[in-house]
Amino acid sequence: MFKIENLKKESLGKLPLLERREFLKMGFVVTGVFAGGSILSLVSNAEKVFASAGEFAEKYPYKPHYSMVIRQNLCIDCERCLEACRTTNEVPDYGYRTAILEKHVPEAVGQKTEFIPVLCMQCNDPPCVRACPTKASYKDEVNGIIRIEKKKCIGCKVCMVACPYNARYFNNETRAIDKCDFCFETRLSKGEKLTACSAVCPTGARTFGDISDPSSEVYRMVHQLQKRVWVIRAEAGTKPNVFYMKS
Amino acid sequence: MKKYFAFLLTAVFFHASAAHVTLAAPEETGHGGDIIYTKPVKGVLFSHANHVEAVGLSCDSCHDTIFPMEARAVQKNKDFTMASLYKGKYCGACHDGSMAFASNTQCARCHIGVKGFERLQKKSK
Repeated sequence: MFKIENLKKESLGKLPLLERREFLKMGFVVTGVFAGGSILSLVSNAEKVFASAGEFAEKYPYKPHYSMVIRQNLCIDCERCLEACRTTNEVPDYGYRTAILEKHVPEAVGQKTEFIPVLCMQCNDPPCVRACPTKASYKDEVNGIIRIEKKKCIGCKVCMVACPYNARYFNNETRAIDKCDFCFETRLSKGEKLTACSAVCPTGARTFGDISDPSSEVYRMVHQLQKRVWVIRAEAGTKPNVFYMKS
Repeated sequence: MKKYFAFLLTAVFFHASAAHVTLAAPEETGHGGDIIYTKPVKGVLFSHANHVEAVGLSCDSCHDTIFPMEARAVQKNKDFTMASLYKGKYCGACHDGSMAFASNTQCARCHIGVKGFERLQKKSK
């Protein structure tokens, strides 16, 4: 029955082509498509497929289609987001749902350090979900958030290896993998509009919202031509819903 | 003659490195060293070495008019915020985009963050 040559290949090298084929099969445009390179390719893609930007927006597969835009240059590593995340989601000291990376460029003129907030990218094509043997990791069919059904998690950590963003850790207390769920369980499902991190950020580095809504701030930030928008590790072909730009 | 030069060179070298060591100790430099603010956000670095030695400002450029002599005293003020800086208060007196880089640009040049703060603390121990 299960011949190895009949199975889908899971290696990263095989991803982009496969994703493209899958995407064409799906017949709608998903966010990651225009995150591959410059914003110019985004617009040309959109125009090729749809008559207007409005029509384009309607094709986001989830409603609300939660997304975060990180304006990297605004991050000052005050780490209030990390604190808020820990208290809101009961994240232990050894774990994390979000982190701040530091990049040093000693030869740069002026500012020589850059802080890069990272979290689960809530990919449209999540390798973690594909890797999970028990379907404990799943993509929420309504809002596209990658969530975990704790009682199904057997702690095999395959998803941790599969994730190109290192967004997961094993929680010793719950005996399950834990990760950012855009605060769905602790805030969004209770009527809050923002994640804990974006609500507490003093500089507005993290903008959160529904990218399927053309009047939302995240939509307007991603669908413009003036500033370049990118995603981390676009080559992994995961179509992230967390976008990066500078303001 | 060659020996003499070699000696002179080593002497100069040692003198220079000794001078470097004294520069690192704030009490002997004649300025306040590194000041790290923790409020309203953690990890904002003011380097006296940069401002006094590299830029060449004198003490009375800032003391006691814009900043009191006591380190971090301004942290207690409620208006010690970026908004005040944009209005020309505190660091914003110079960091206005004409005298020095504007305080609403290059955030991480002064904001060294929690990571930078912890690194400096480890170094000073």
